[in-house]
Amino acid sequence: MSYRAGLDELFVVELARTIRDAEVVFHGFGSPCATVAMHHAKRTHAPHALLIEGATYAVNPSPAFIAPSSNDHSLKRGSAYSMRFEEAFDMSVRGDMDLMFLSGIQIDPHGNTNVTAVGAMPNPKVKLGGGGGGCNMSATIGRLTLWTTNHRSGRCLVEECDFITDIGHRTPEGTRSELGYPGGGPDVLVTEMGVFDYPEGRARLRRLFPDVTLEEVTAATGFEFAVAPDLAPVQTPSRDQIDLVRAIDPLGVRRREFRPAELERSFSL
Amino acid sequence: MAVHLAPDKLGELETAVALVQPGSMVALGGGLSARLPMALVRGLIRAGIGDLHVVGSAHSIDVDLLAAAGAISVCEESYVGYEQDHGLAPAFRRAAQEGSLEARESCCDTILTQLRAAEMGLSFLPVHGVKGTDIERLHPEYSRVTCPFTGHQYVAVPPLAPDAALIHAPIGDRQGNLHIKQPYVLDERFAVASAMTIATVDRIAPTDEVAAAGIVIPYYRVAAVVESPFGAHPSSSYPGYSYDRAHLASWVAAARTHEGAQDYLDRYVTGVDEDGYRRLIGGDRLEHLTGYGASDEAWMELFR
Repeated sequence: MSYRAGLDELFVVELARTIRDAEVVFHGFGSPCATVAMHHAKRTHAPHALLIEGATYAVNPSPAFIAPSSNDHSLKRGSAYSMRFEEAFDMSVRGDMDLMFLSGIQIDPHGNTNVTAVGAMPNPKVKLGGGGGGCNMSATIGRLTLWTTNHRSGRCLVEECDFITDIGHRTPEGTRSELGYPGGGPDVLVTEMGVFDYPEGRARLRRLFPDVTLEEVTAATGFEFAVAPDLAPVQTPSRDQIDLVRAIDPLGVRRREFRPAELERSFSL
Repeated sequence: MAVHLAPDKLGELETAVALVQPGSMVALGGGLSARLPMALVRGLIRAGIGDLHVVGSAHSIDVDLLAAAGAISVCEESYVGYEQDHGLAPAFRRAAQEGSLEARESCCDTILTQLRAAEMGLSFLPVHGVKGTDIERLHPEYSRVTCPFTGHQYVAVPPLAPDAALIHAPIGDRQGNLHIKQPYVLDERFAVASAMTIATVDRIAPTDEVAAAGIVIPYYRVAAVVESPFGAHPSSSYPGYSYDRAHLASWVAAARTHEGAQDYLDRYVTGVDEDGYRRLIGGDRLEHLTGYGASDEAWMELFR
């Protein structure tokens, strides 16, 4: 029987794969794909993960659906305990969080991200929403999974961010170790075209979604990047994994991160 | 950080917002779609109190409405917007791009640290990150400090002591004891670090009831309390009501132009008082938002 999965569904499964079992994992607000990914990992390969739910700071909830706002109380359902704001931030800056998800309107080859402004502050061309807690958390958290759903535009993966909101592997002031930052920095970048890793602190293409070519990625990327010798397609999820995405997110909140054309991409499983 | 000891602080919204001086630093409680102090925000706009320096973590229509009214001179929030659902905050964005508002963007953890410095009476505290980012450049008031024990260089941040914290709670008593549900976000820190807290509550309750539910902000931090049913609308005030996603969408659509934003303000803010606001939204609609708890399906339906 034919079974098709959307790009949005493959995408969140790929994000979920960056979560390991029995680690402390957090996503910020405005992160529907990361939210779905965390619950997916918790219900599959990472059942012992300590999951801190977005801007509710609820520990290990099992919500019946993902709400469109990340601090709606529906996201706390099934959680016996909610961290206080202070507890979550203290945990992250003292280095007790293993993984956080971060996105960027611009992302440079070192994994620095910009969610503050396009164009020069103080009166930029576009004032973006802002970085929430990322400016401190990106310095100390064990590792970061970066993601974007806007790679193909050519405006996201850029040689230089107009503004550095969150720390990658190197800023103009120096490397993470020169800055004295204990966290490991970006580990993986998942885009709607493929997956990068950061050997030696610089983005390297590792995986392609099955309908994307290396040439297309090169054309959409504003910086030169290495290609892993074992470059391969993203591993196709199972039907059960896709069904679980749909069960976790019946409202399809994850889809709001994608342009309409990307949502038309589908894959036969 | 004086204490506020009057036995009965229950008053009218107009009197409470008049405690905020033009040009003062105002902390906005709640965050994103939850427990935003919207009745107080609307009250400030009606009273024409502006030139405000607003501080907080991740916020949305509270800052956006104040920006549309031209009431903000400095915005020191960590985020202003509607997440992936409705995107960027149109009025805030326009004001920042035009330069009528200074977007002195901060980080949630930096704001927390600065409030703690104020609470502890310290002249600075260090933060772990920020160094090497462009956020540091937006803040000439930050400095660098070297740890005397390890030699590690931190960014040092000064205390943040707002003139007023605006907080909405589901219940509180006449003296100002407030009960709120998790997430408290920064509200406890705001209440201590600020010179005074101005509160709205959906319902005034006896002290015994507030104490049984759990007092999160004690009366002596609170200078004024106003009973304002649905005072957080269109944000949520659980356990009372969910947020009004459709209303947020209609504001964001209207605010795409300056004229649309002004029409909204005329209709929903300056043209009415809070009774009139509730009538405009409609009793049926408000009642609908209280029905989230009937079932998972009912709750989910509110967000379709």
